[in-house]
Amino acid sequence: MAELPLLSWLLLIYPLGALLMWLAPRALPPRALALAIGGLGVGMSLLIVGGFDAAVPGFQMRESADWIPTLNIRYAVGVDGLSVLFLPATALLFLGVILASWNGTRTLPRLYFTLLLLLAGAITGVFCALDTILFFLFWELTLIPIYFLVSLWGVGPHRSYAATKYTLIMFAGGVPLLFGFLILAFNHAAYTGAGVPAGLGFDLPALLATPMSTRLQVAVFVLLLLGFAVKTPVFPVHTWLPLLAMEAPVAVVALLAGLKLGAYGLIRFAVPLAPEAAHSLHWLLAALGVTGLVFGAVAALAQTNLRTMLAYAGLSHVGLVLLGIAAFNLQGIQGAVLQLLNFTLVAGGAFLATSFLRRRLGSTDIANMGGAARSMPLLASFFLAFGLAGMGVPGTSGFPAELLILVATLQTHPGAGLAALFAMVLSAAYFLDLYRRAFFGPATSPAVIEALDLRPRELLILLVFVGLILGFGLFPAALLEVIESSAGAWAAKLAHAAP
Amino acid sequence: MIDLLERLHASLPPLAMLQLLPLIGALILLRLGERPLALVIGHVVPLAELGLALHVYRVLDVHNPSFQFVEHLHLLGPLAYHAGADGVTVLFVVLTALTIALLPFYVRVRGLEDQTRLLALLLAIEALMMSMLVTLDLLWFTLASGIELALAGYLVGNWSNSPQKDLAMLRFFQFQGVGLVMLLAGALIIAWTHRDATGHDWTFDLQVLAGQPISPHIGAVAFFLLFYGLGIRTPIFPFHGWLPTVAQHGNMAIAPTLLLGVKMGVYGLVRFVLPILPQVATTWAPYVTGFAAAGVFYAALLAFQQNNLRLLIAFAVVSHTSLVVIGIFSLDAIAFQGGVLLAANFGFAVTAMMLMTGLVHRRTRTTNLARLGGLFDRIPLLALTFLVAGLAIVAMPGTPGFDAAHLVLEAGIHRFGALTTVAAALGNVVAAGFLLWAFQRAFLAPPPATRTALVETATPMELAIAGALVVVMLFAGFHMEPLLAMVDPPLRLLALRFGDG
Repeated sequence: MAELPLLSWLLLIYPLGALLMWLAPRALPPRALALAIGGLGVGMSLLIVGGFDAAVPGFQMRESADWIPTLNIRYAVGVDGLSVLFLPATALLFLGVILASWNGTRTLPRLYFTLLLLLAGAITGVFCALDTILFFLFWELTLIPIYFLVSLWGVGPHRSYAATKYTLIMFAGGVPLLFGFLILAFNHAAYTGAGVPAGLGFDLPALLATPMSTRLQVAVFVLLLLGFAVKTPVFPVHTWLPLLAMEAPVAVVALLAGLKLGAYGLIRFAVPLAPEAAHSLHWLLAALGVTGLVFGAVAALAQTNLRTMLAYAGLSHVGLVLLGIAAFNLQGIQGAVLQLLNFTLVAGGAFLATSFLRRRLGSTDIANMGGAARSMPLLASFFLAFGLAGMGVPGTSGFPAELLILVATLQTHPGAGLAALFAMVLSAAYFLDLYRRAFFGPATSPAVIEALDLRPRELLILLVFVGLILGFGLFPAALLEVIESSAGAWAAKLAHAAP
Repeated sequence: MIDLLERLHASLPPLAMLQLLPLIGALILLRLGERPLALVIGHVVPLAELGLALHVYRVLDVHNPSFQFVEHLHLLGPLAYHAGADGVTVLFVVLTALTIALLPFYVRVRGLEDQTRLLALLLAIEALMMSMLVTLDLLWFTLASGIELALAGYLVGNWSNSPQKDLAMLRFFQFQGVGLVMLLAGALIIAWTHRDATGHDWTFDLQVLAGQPISPHIGAVAFFLLFYGLGIRTPIFPFHGWLPTVAQHGNMAIAPTLLLGVKMGVYGLVRFVLPILPQVATTWAPYVTGFAAAGVFYAALLAFQQNNLRLLIAFAVVSHTSLVVIGIFSLDAIAFQGGVLLAANFGFAVTAMMLMTGLVHRRTRTTNLARLGGLFDRIPLLALTFLVAGLAIVAMPGTPGFDAAHLVLEAGIHRFGALTTVAAALGNVVAAGFLLWAFQRAFLAPPPATRTALVETATPMELAIAGALVVVMLFAGFHMEPLLAMVDPPLRLLALRFGDG
């Protein structure tokens, strides 16, 4: 089983599915094909997790082939404990998005589902690439489907503007990222003494083993931090997220909010590749984390729309992830990865629930809602469940993640830890307040009174998400076990680099 | 077919064939006039030429850095026929043949008038371009360039339905005339100095001239003249004055494709200027790069202000050509590779954008962005082709632009430090800005109220043209290795002249 190139197959099925979409007979509805591919993706990613040996800290299931030998650029993929769980998370969220778009996509459905599949393939690639250039390829390839999904199927009046703004900001963010990778490659060439281009190094495991002067490390760390911060997003480069939350199709926002590629990039590349610089700049990470945490929470308080509220809540939560990373210890990184996985379920699920709400009411502004719980009790309860998981209430998957991060942060950055505790109180305030105004009180709008509750298809999606939230909330050990040995190696490398 | 080529190769000199085949085709077309057979020949000959170019690519020894298939013939006095090809030559030869092979189909789709004469003109231009690419004689290059530009100017001024087409033709000839005089003067100065220094006969042979260093003072004058001359034709900022008028009022896609799709000026720099004048090029590189860095942004800002898709693409060309210049004037092996591949990539991408613009114009009768819009639903694949070309220009991974651009960036960091290079990379982001915005206005924006009829969907022939363009771009983007391997040895040899090796 282990000999099968499962990762490559997983990477391949999405684009193949996209291609099939155009070759298949017209009678076959695109959504059915997309669903089949999405299901296949979930199955294969679970197979990968099943075949993953949690006791081994390094990269597993590695595959490697020449791509551009002249420049030492390779096709290299592999997973370790920090990344392997993102594969089923991605596949599951995509399946949810495909199901959530089942009836809502009237114009050009074939193209819509093609783009979704291409996006799924690119994001999966981001999580398994072990060559910096290959990673960059997948990273940038995510932009094109998003651009089209937002500009063609966006729900807001400024969707074109939002799509262009997002793409340009991401292009700009790609520049420091590429520069960081190039500096790493040059350093590898200088270290091996093989000269340029023979000594250029883009292979992640090789780069991790290449020593680098502290000055260069600082440059690399800052460049990568900049590039990843834009995508995460981290305050103050977050302005695209609330905009997109209003303009993009809600199901697509679920993907962007649920899969924090930028934070993953920090964990995978920025910190381990420049450990000494990361150590000396720990205050920067922690400061960015705290600012985002508090700013996001305060901004969320001021929102009157569920979608922008969720966007700012996401900004706040990702601040917590940064704090977990900045602790540079086992609990911190475990909590950070757990929190990222938790996001996929919570933020992804919440945005999917919002998309169901929007389809019924045509809006997610509280001015048009009031009393929604009366006509849609199921939807209201699921939304509450996502909110509670976001707050980190015990029993939900948010709890172990936030607890680990808080424990780690209180040890290393006590001030930041206290601020985080405060922000968690705020998170209860913004969520519960908006929830009360949106779902309780007298129903005045006819749209709300006549709204139907969840259909079976929607119920199924939310049930799976909430089931996983509760399951992993009660038994976090199942996830932590997979993460642990890789997280331990990650923290050990950083402890080794400590001044 | 391959057998036949094999036998032809054994008996005929391939580089001479590359030049003669389209020339003969052109003559036959002129002879046949309006007969239907002429159109068939007009389509077949460029395809045969593409086959021949691919054959040359196949038999080229990519590991050998020196010139291959060398042909030599003494003609009148100092003018000699001396042809040879290395990896760089073949890259441009294949690019030229591929681009021109697509054009007859485009001509047919557009239903342009007087097609036989147009196809004959195309073939004649192709013959001259091939001649410029394979020649190793500076005078030959200059003369072929002159005739080619004259024919291209004729193409610019005819086959255009703008009322100001005469103005476009006039501007073109004014600028290119000056450029040619400069080029010729530069060539003469170099040859004259060489004759004075050695006492031999006059010669313009690349290998002879490159073997003899030139005094820096005279060299600087010659460099200035050659760079100026080639800069006008490329066009490099700030020598691009002719381009906006020609782009707006000249012939729509065909002439710009021939002039901008194959960056002959860049090829001239790499083939002649850098090997003959390495010291002077090193001295002047910082200035050239400074101008180029300014050009990236100046042209990008102008591109942002355009309401006409044709003008926007014209400024995009000026902007990205500056990037190529930054690449080449970083003056080491990686820089040359990046610059040359970037030039080829930009050329092909611009060809794709021009042709798609032409196909849009066929439907809308305008390229004014305010009057386009709403086209994506009707012609999604043509729109996607335009977008892929745009992405190739902004060096998106997965297009040939990416590897080329990152080579240029690597070299730039090496030579000029991070700042210039960051500026260049940001120039790319700006380019992404105006290209995406243009795409949005042209294809995604709501259709204008004045348009009442439904836009015609793409015909099979149009889809075939667009498909060919996309397939080539993506294939080269994901499978860059052969191209890199092909240009690597000769450019490494060139880099030795600049102390890199």
